[in-house]
Amino acid sequence: MNSCKLATLPQRRRVWNERSPAGSEPDDIAHSRDAHVFVPDDNHRLRNALNLGGAVLKLGLVGFMFFEVAGGVVYKFRLDFVPGLFLLLRVDALALLFLSLSAALWFLTTIYAIAYFGAKPEQSGFFGFFSLCVAATTGIALSGTLISFFIFFELLTLSTWPLVVHKRNANSLAAGRAYLSYAMPASAVLLVAVVWLESTVGPVEFAVPADLGALDDTSLQVIYVLFIVGLGVKAALIPLHGWLPQAMAAPAPVSALLHAVAVVKAGAFGIMRIVFDVFGLDRLDALGVATPLAMLAAATIIWGSIRALQQEDIKKRLAYSTVSQVSYIVLGIALGGPYAVIGGLAHLVHQGLMKITLFFCAGIFDERAGITRIDALDGIGMRMPWTAACFTVGAMGMIGLPPTAGFVTKIYLGVGALQSGAAWALGVLVVSTILNAAYFLPLIYRIWFLEVPSDARPVEGPPTLIGPAIVTAAASIAAGVIAAAAYSPLGWATLIAQQEYLP
Amino acid sequence: MRGTHKPAAFAGFWCLTLAGNLGVFLAADVATFYVAFATVSLAAYVLIVHEANEAALRAGRIYIVMVILGEVCVLAGFVIGITAADSLNIADIRNAQSDAPPGGVASLLPVAGFGIKAGLMPLHIWLLLAHPAAPTPASAVLSGAIVKAGIIGMILFLPASLGFADWLVVLGLAGAFGAALLGLRETNPKTILAYSTISQMSLVTAHIWAPLGSDDASVQFAFYALHHGLAKGALFLSVGLVAACTGRWRAAVLVAVALIALSVAGAPLTGGSVAKLAAKSGLDGVAETALPLTAITTTLVLTWSITRLAMVGTDSKSGRPNAFLAVPTLAIGLGALVVPWVLGRDWSGLEPGYPLHLSSLWSSAWPVAVGLAPGLLWSWRRASGPPSADRTLAERIDDRLAVLETRASAAPVQHPHWFATTIQAAFEAAMVSLSALEQHLKRGRYASMLLVAFCIASRLAGDCGDRTGFGPAYI
Repeated sequence: MNSCKLATLPQRRRVWNERSPAGSEPDDIAHSRDAHVFVPDDNHRLRNALNLGGAVLKLGLVGFMFFEVAGGVVYKFRLDFVPGLFLLLRVDALALLFLSLSAALWFLTTIYAIAYFGAKPEQSGFFGFFSLCVAATTGIALSGTLISFFIFFELLTLSTWPLVVHKRNANSLAAGRAYLSYAMPASAVLLVAVVWLESTVGPVEFAVPADLGALDDTSLQVIYVLFIVGLGVKAALIPLHGWLPQAMAAPAPVSALLHAVAVVKAGAFGIMRIVFDVFGLDRLDALGVATPLAMLAAATIIWGSIRALQQEDIKKRLAYSTVSQVSYIVLGIALGGPYAVIGGLAHLVHQGLMKITLFFCAGIFDERAGITRIDALDGIGMRMPWTAACFTVGAMGMIGLPPTAGFVTKIYLGVGALQSGAAWALGVLVVSTILNAAYFLPLIYRIWFLEVPSDARPVEGPPTLIGPAIVTAAASIAAGVIAAAAYSPLGWATLIAQQEYLP
Repeated sequence: MRGTHKPAAFAGFWCLTLAGNLGVFLAADVATFYVAFATVSLAAYVLIVHEANEAALRAGRIYIVMVILGEVCVLAGFVIGITAADSLNIADIRNAQSDAPPGGVASLLPVAGFGIKAGLMPLHIWLLLAHPAAPTPASAVLSGAIVKAGIIGMILFLPASLGFADWLVVLGLAGAFGAALLGLRETNPKTILAYSTISQMSLVTAHIWAPLGSDDASVQFAFYALHHGLAKGALFLSVGLVAACTGRWRAAVLVAVALIALSVAGAPLTGGSVAKLAAKSGLDGVAETALPLTAITTTLVLTWSITRLAMVGTDSKSGRPNAFLAVPTLAIGLGALVVPWVLGRDWSGLEPGYPLHLSSLWSSAWPVAVGLAPGLLWSWRRASGPPSADRTLAERIDDRLAVLETRASAAPVQHPHWFATTIQAAFEAAMVSLSALEQHLKRGRYASMLLVAFCIASRLAGDCGDRTGFGPAYI
């Protein structure tokens, strides 16, 4: 496991495959699945075995740690690479929330992607970067210091680009350009923020509250804004969201993971770390910067919904819906009331489950029936009942109808908004719910209640394509129905909030 | 239902609606209640659009839009209630509702949400369209059970002492009389019955907030609603039953239907009279006077509905009803006539035998008698005259909505109203410039700068706010 390699791809790319001397458990997980960029393109069996094997192993380890961490164990791994700078991987409850989401959804997306690509070419490159991307996300989840977080965050930025441009057509290349033209300046801004902060207060470790008293209020405010700008691009806060709807030119499995786990969630997770672990809710309140963030999130929620309403393309509508839904997480964090924080944390998982279901289904519609536009969905429910049913569940969750996970989030955010004295946020939720219904219900209506075109025949996909969608759809219902259980996303979010961030 | 398409889908959502409806009545905490309430709302949509023709789909669209608005109102009201009560228990929320922070909003939202479901005028439009469009059994449960979910919601969640309770009483009484009279203008028996349902539900709504003579008046209104559910369910089912009969069979069925209708009007010795007397005993003041008067309009509209029912065309060859159609209809009807007597002893709050007292018999009989004469006259004149070429009100509403929908989906309107054009132009201009801005931002050059500017601006705004005491109270 312990070597540093410079790898050359068979075809045309060169990749530096970062590996670190390791020994502790979290590090094994972060890097367990990066070997198969070397696998020949036509060796499907070996590649699939490596991919799935890695995913299952990771899922098992995360599952094991889940129960250990619930019992109070903290895993740590530390590596000094420059005097004064060290890489710290640490598994706390918040890390595990994100980690378990990414492990579970990555496993399902791998199955889906294998079925989706079938025997298409260029798969080794794809799965290589795919695995690099999961490693980066895992690293982000486990990072215990600001500098480790930044390293993995950048690794994610770079490893996502080849996935976005995978199709190599004009649209994907444009999407890739847009993605980088947003992400790279944001990285620069993020780096400035990290350097500015650490040059004054020393290395910031998430578990140890940094003494920010050394900086005056204005500097802190500017640093905070720089952080939000740097992370807000990935979290698709307006006006930094432009790349996300374009990135839907990527293949369906990539869109699914981009929207559900990897990129947008990394941004939202980063904002959580900054708000909770670097600044702390109290200090943000004292600085007077929490409410503006909440308002920005609210504006994003409304704007994303309005734009979603105007889209004719299924994936584009879903993309704008993501812009809107991810801001629920940011809204919950920024409001800062106990229920709002819990709702925001839980929505990290809930939104992932629901949105990945929708993208899985959109991919199946495209792949099996050639449907990309909303007006082509008429009567598809009769032709592809399983896919259509999963899509319906995902859409209902997005609207926030019970008993799905989205309903739980809405209740918690609403109550949290009132607890924080921000009644306007409840109004935002109400408007957004109505808008969500307005852009998702017509799809469901077309799917189930309009006539099937006469030349249609059943086109339901193979089980490996539909299976992951069924699992995530079931999970998004389960997360709502058993929300009160200790190990549900909501239960876990409550644990995090109680243990760490709330008095 | 035999012979229609997709019977399995109908059956599945039928059971789901039933499950949700039971859940609404059994829920003790607000989350369960909301889950059940939303299940009823959404599953009923599938029942309404089952016929999948133009009218049914349009009724479904109107229904789903209103229901989603209702759901959102209810949910927002619940969230305010949960926060105020710091509990999920329905009883706690009811107590906290009246002095929840943003004034009357906390109570107004559920009133609107439940009012939509209960068909409280002027939120009743969906009922008018959905009843005629839905298959007969679906109409029966819509009127018999589903609208009651709105009523139970009002009883469970809203305190008796509302700031605007008087207005609700006025609104309810206006609906009780108005809907019945509007029903006289209709020709489709299902629409007439739908109007009667709206009238009855408005009456119940009015009485929930009327000055009460006794504490357990809400129980008496639940009792009243139970009777109405049974009777109205039977009346709707009878539309399908009558359509399957001809000749002597039809005459026999119509007699039974008339008996059920008399019960709804509260004629003496019927189950309805027990329910009405029980309801009346809980009231005083205006409401007590109004209750017998509504029986007059109820008699009027039901007489008319039976007249139209008798004129329903038939597609049956034998003219004899199928037992599967006849038995449930008549059983529910019999239930409406008998069940209030059986349950009356424990639940009506009346002394045993009170409905048989001479004064009670008289107070039940005179409104029915007063209503019957003009009802028969109206029926005779309208039914014997030439069929009117005019569209009825419900049909006109339907036409109007169809036109609006075509307009919304089709391109330019010929002669739009100047106000509509201005609004539309302004909206479009706003969207164009905002989208252009977004396109601009997609190039990524100004986005970061703008965000920094926004944050600084809102930070300054936040500063001003803090000084005036505005701003979130963090924990």
